[in-house]
Amino acid sequence: MEIGESRLHDALVLAPAGRIDSDTAAAFEARLLLAAEHGEGKVVVDFARVGYISSAGLRALLAGAKKVQNAGGGVALCGINMNVREVFEVSGFLAVFTARDGRAEAAAALA
Amino acid sequence: MLRFAEEVMLLLLNDEDGSFMRVPDWSLSYALSGGVLMDLALEDRIDTDLEKLVLVSDTPLGDDLLDPTLADIVQAEDKRDARFWVERTAAWSDEIRERALARLVARGILETRDDRFLWVFRARRYPVVDGKAEREVKLRIMEVLFSNELPGPRDVVIICLADACGLLRRLLGKNELQAALARIDQVRKLDLIGQATTQAIRDIELSLAVLQQQNTY
Repeated sequence: MEIGESRLHDALVLAPAGRIDSDTAAAFEARLLLAAEHGEGKVVVDFARVGYISSAGLRALLAGAKKVQNAGGGVALCGINMNVREVFEVSGFLAVFTARDGRAEAAAALA
Repeated sequence: MLRFAEEVMLLLLNDEDGSFMRVPDWSLSYALSGGVLMDLALEDRIDTDLEKLVLVSDTPLGDDLLDPTLADIVQAEDKRDARFWVERTAAWSDEIRERALARLVARGILETRDDRFLWVFRARRYPVVDGKAEREVKLRIMEVLFSNELPGPRDVVIICLADACGLLRRLLGKNELQAALARIDQVRKLDLIGQATTQAIRDIELSLAVLQQQNTY
């Protein structure tokens, strides 16, 4: 899966594209684990180009974000479109993750 | 590492005498069933979304707790949702329960003791031989419930299953439970199979409550 990467001030922005499911969840989680290993303090995951997320994707996000948190950092979400938002709402992910509309707001929320 | 069905059985044990806490049959059946499906998901054999459960790999795990359900899913002609599979797998929850207990005995965590009462009735108990695994499961639950940190996927599952069959209210004191209610509600939603398991149990409880009310009037 393609995962775009950029920096916004002191935050790492990850922008996965396509589906996050059993085929791609491991790569997504691995990228978050790498961020944890590199001691990234702020990680923003931009879901604007993600059209589908399954249980495997949710678990990858949870496991990866937990590693970032354990390493002293934080993960915030942004760009959540309608399809993904429904899954996040039903699964309660919006209650445990910081989510904002844009990257800058998400990064700022991690300050 | 223990399977979720084994962890549920450990949580059910009364440490003092190796008997089991009493929970409704249907809730334990669905919790064991949900546990099997969640293990299959964590082993990358199945995946789910809000509408369906899909097969990811048909390769058996060599695990007698999980492979029968995996084979059932492999043979299915139609894609069904997680709730369907929770209910279907619950049909052989007695076997899941017995296999989980046999594995805990084989691992040296429990032992079996057959007693008789009134000289006639036989009762099998499972005294704990090695309490480490049980303590670790309980510790994992407490750590998640009384912190604000993100739970790991395995922590989410065991909290969801324990809550689904009413074990959390027995593991926690009254004040602890009150303090943890919001967090329990937050964590148990985080797994979609867990949600299907909880909903299946809630629907039965609701049906029973309606029946009871009808019989009252």
